[in-house]
Amino acid sequence: MLIKCRYTIGIFLFLFSATLLAQIEIPTLSQRVTDLTNTLFPEELAALEKKLADFETRKGSQIAVLILPTTEPEDIAAFGIRVADSWKIGRKNIDDGIILIVAKEDRKLRIEVGRGLEGVIPDAIAKRIISEIITPFFKDYHIQGGINAGVDQLIKLIDGEKLPAPNINQVMESIDSNHLTAIIFGLMMLDVFAKVWAGWIRGMFITGIAVVIIGVLVHPESYTEMGSSPLFFISAFFIGIVGSVILKLIMIFNSSKTLNSNFDMSDFSSSDSSSSSSSFSGSGGSFSGGGASGSW
Amino acid sequence: MLKKLIILWFITTLSGCGYNSFQSSDETIKASWGEVLNQYQRRADLVPNLVNIVKGYASHEKDVLIQVTQARSKVSSIQVTPELVNDEKAFASFIAAQGQMTQAISSLLAVAESYPELKSSSLFRDLQAQIEGTENRITVARNRYIAAIKEYNITVRSFPSNITAMFFGYRTKNSFTVENEYRISNAPKVDFNTTP
Repeated sequence: MLIKCRYTIGIFLFLFSATLLAQIEIPTLSQRVTDLTNTLFPEELAALEKKLADFETRKGSQIAVLILPTTEPEDIAAFGIRVADSWKIGRKNIDDGIILIVAKEDRKLRIEVGRGLEGVIPDAIAKRIISEIITPFFKDYHIQGGINAGVDQLIKLIDGEKLPAPNINQVMESIDSNHLTAIIFGLMMLDVFAKVWAGWIRGMFITGIAVVIIGVLVHPESYTEMGSSPLFFISAFFIGIVGSVILKLIMIFNSSKTLNSNFDMSDFSSSDSSSSSSSFSGSGGSFSGGGASGSW
Repeated sequence: MLKKLIILWFITTLSGCGYNSFQSSDETIKASWGEVLNQYQRRADLVPNLVNIVKGYASHEKDVLIQVTQARSKVSSIQVTPELVNDEKAFASFIAAQGQMTQAISSLLAVAESYPELKSSSLFRDLQAQIEGTENRITVARNRYIAAIKEYNITVRSFPSNITAMFFGYRTKNSFTVENEYRISNAPKVDFNTTP
């Protein structure tokens, strides 16, 4: 009897914990408009997608739309920040991303506003867009109209804000600064070891060769663009030698003082670099929970 | 040259024994704690406006109004220093005061529900949206703080970084706990006889 009771409690607890843990999985981001409910017709979806893509090329800000059946058991705000943290809509350090989430069966919606847009779209404005522009459409079962009107209003507001020009950080897209720091740090280590091991002239050459190898690995595009000509190797080799000489000079200069190295190793976490190819992804914008929720 | 090698070896091993991750997670904690305080402050700044507008439409709802004002003054009476995080007692009382504030604001908003005129005033609606947004930001900031503390505490406890922690005297830090939550979710007793 006692054992049976224990089992029942065990099963009950297990089920209970299962319901506690059951969170909706974050949908994968592959395009700007993610419709999991098939509410929008393909052509409507394509039109909205194009509008948002055009806006991004014109202004640089990213807007994403997510329509899903329900966020239960989670609150839409809690779900919203999870989506925002995982999608990283908006440009890195400009944080100019917006996510419009519609939970159709819950009859709830939320505008998640990126940090950088909290000035132009404060919570009160986001709430007004929800209650005065979007929900009147939704009440008439006109989901597509509401989303379009809301997006238009958001675009209008963001257009009024002075933001950095689009594509400002496209150049460094393939390697972001963290990787660059790691590479430079690694090269410096190699340089020092090579100089100790093989004397500083030969060490210099070793560093030069290492730069060539890393150059080919990191930036294969420019390597092939230059027709894999010896020019690429020579210039990379030269860069390596110059760097090595500079390091040597710094070391000579510093040898009287103590070598005070504080390399910033703080965040080597792999931050996913965005690619501007056919599939859409966030460019690393961050969110702090700004925006508003509403229901209809 | 040998000296430099030793220094380099030190740098690499220091990052291996977790010294650097202590530094970075400590900074993350500081930053996320700053964000928590920032959002609490933002809420405290919104409260007088909220009280004023509710007074204008529902002046006889004295109990709730007094409750909010008291919670507000209690919150602002607590000296917020960076050391607050390390002082368990002060931290607990700070969290409790903020919890009372949450309670008071939500009961004020609940009362406001029964005043259609107040509810339809655009000023009140904007304010309500701001308060809701701030509460959400507080939740987000708190969760990020909890995550940062968790990362730090794991580094403090796990091997081999715990040796570094022992050596430099790093100890586990306080976080928002369920006990705190439980205590603050119990409605505070308010003496209605006193005036704010």
